[in-house]
Amino acid sequence: MQNLSRRLAALDTSAGAALDVIAYFDRLAQSRAGLEQVVRGAAVLSGVPARLDDPARRIAIRVDAAGVRTTPDGPPDPRWPSIAVCGAVLRLETDRPTGQLDGMVLERAAITVDLVIARVRGGVPARRPDCAVVELAVDPAAEPQERKRALRELGLAATDGARVVALADGDVMVDRGTRTVPGEGRRGVGPTVPAAELPRSAHEARVALRFTADGTAADPGPRVVHADDLGALVLLVAAVDAGAPPTADLRALLEAVQEVPHLLRTSTALVASVSVRAAAAELYVHHSTLQDRLDQAERVLGWSVRTTTGRARLQLVLAERLLRR
Amino acid sequence: MTLAPPPFDPELAAALAATGQSSIATGITLDQLAVERANLAETVPTVTELATDATLRVEERTVPGAEDGPELELLVVRPRGRTDPRPVVYHTHGGGLIMGNNRYGLDPVLDFVRELDLVVVSVGYRLAPEHPFPAGTEDAYAGLRWLASDPAAVGGDGRIVLTGGSAGGSLAAALALLARDRGEVSVTGQLLMYPMLDDRNESVSARQMHGLGVWDRVSNETGWAAWLGGAAEVSPYAAPARATDLTGLPPAFLDAGSAETFRDEIVDYAQRLWAAGGDAELHVWPGAFHAFDFLAPQADLSQRARAARLHWLRRLLGD
Repeated sequence: MQNLSRRLAALDTSAGAALDVIAYFDRLAQSRAGLEQVVRGAAVLSGVPARLDDPARRIAIRVDAAGVRTTPDGPPDPRWPSIAVCGAVLRLETDRPTGQLDGMVLERAAITVDLVIARVRGGVPARRPDCAVVELAVDPAAEPQERKRALRELGLAATDGARVVALADGDVMVDRGTRTVPGEGRRGVGPTVPAAELPRSAHEARVALRFTADGTAADPGPRVVHADDLGALVLLVAAVDAGAPPTADLRALLEAVQEVPHLLRTSTALVASVSVRAAAAELYVHHSTLQDRLDQAERVLGWSVRTTTGRARLQLVLAERLLRR
Repeated sequence: MTLAPPPFDPELAAALAATGQSSIATGITLDQLAVERANLAETVPTVTELATDATLRVEERTVPGAEDGPELELLVVRPRGRTDPRPVVYHTHGGGLIMGNNRYGLDPVLDFVRELDLVVVSVGYRLAPEHPFPAGTEDAYAGLRWLASDPAAVGGDGRIVLTGGSAGGSLAAALALLARDRGEVSVTGQLLMYPMLDDRNESVSARQMHGLGVWDRVSNETGWAAWLGGAAEVSPYAAPARATDLTGLPPAFLDAGSAETFRDEIVDYAQRLWAAGGDAELHVWPGAFHAFDFLAPQADLSQRARAARLHWLRRLLGD
């Protein structure tokens, strides 16, 4: 009878130790352990302090190698081996080169953290269900079997309609394509597709996300953009990503903004509205005030924004601005 | 009939799973004893290894044994840097009455040196089946008498707390009974860590844990049969649960896991101590298997169990 961590330290990189690590975290998950127990497992099995930071959920757990829970002292060192999981980051507080065992401990602990977060959400803002499952469902590189399993866990059959919502922080959500778009902040919404094709919806959702704006005076534009509404605008993405230089219109727009602060808001409202009158209503200004502002805009930009082609030109350059942020 | 056992604590279950075995020290029979002893010996630290802890001063001592018995090997562990007399914890080791030596199972006990600056004296005693009761008990008692006669020899202040885990807890409880009945030694307290008290081995917990966890009913039967050596009458000094009179004993601390063979006999012993007007503190740690704090010291439950013992000792000794 000997205590586990000492035994593991003696074995270190052997295959036996790896099996022990897997068995440890598997059993923790089965017994419905909490986050602290998972972090303690990582610390005890690696023999160095471990910590889990998740500011969004107000989680900061540090456990030293003796298994004692403490408060994190100071920010994490970027040199520490770490793994991201579900918006949280799990770290081993060590400068030593990441060995096989450390990597294995981090990986298995992360999988377990993922399961715990999925299980105990509620109370804390659980924006998404089990992240790893969602990631598998939308990952084009995932094995079909794996994706099928992930879909099952999300309660979806391969032929069920579903769509991906891409969030500004890089996370994705999957829903069944109801009218309300879940989440908050900037969101790109992919098309509703058979669930087995979610990777395509995810790709388009991420593209749509790039056309979103904060919806503020400094960054006006729609917070939620549906991929289905983009049409030929998506072609701009390929051009920008291929390294096309900024257009003269964009350079002119960005320069003009310095001179005319309301320009972005005014232009954005104009291209989003059916008429100047409707745009004025949206901006809460008088119709004639907006007419004055448009005169000013045309002067600094150098082209008419009230003709059909002028408005199209304005729409394109506003889109280019968003893509190049 | 199979009885469902309480579930293991998640961390303890994980620690057990990581050993690659589904249970530890279960199903032991006498024919496996040589192997079991050899396996256990591998895990016992040497004196040199114990001495690597810079806070400890470790020495070995040989003192006179029981009448007709061999000399006794004592391991004395003192807090380094403390020269004033301190209370002594007299430790009888575990190992089912059939295995182990005076360095076995010491880690939780060394907490008392590290955290409370107490002196630990751990005694080696003769094991069954080669030496059935009362050989080992008389060895342990002889060591206690030596200690009481000259506490200063190990830096003691005259106060003695008996302790032991598992079979060692059984011996500690027996020594408390002997000290009371022989009237030669005064004992300050008895700290019984998941003690092995009852040779009858018939409790609900013994049946629930059959083949499960750590030290099951089969291993327990083997240990007791060897220790009792076929005696017709079981002495309370051999199996303290047999004692009918639990009055006049020093304050007791007892702990147990809810998922261990000894749970029910420990709870019963505590209840009888209270019924006899005794001073006793009982902890039943939920989902803990036998010797959990020793096997998985980093688990949250293990830390709390160890802390509870330290709290009790502090109160007992007025430190």
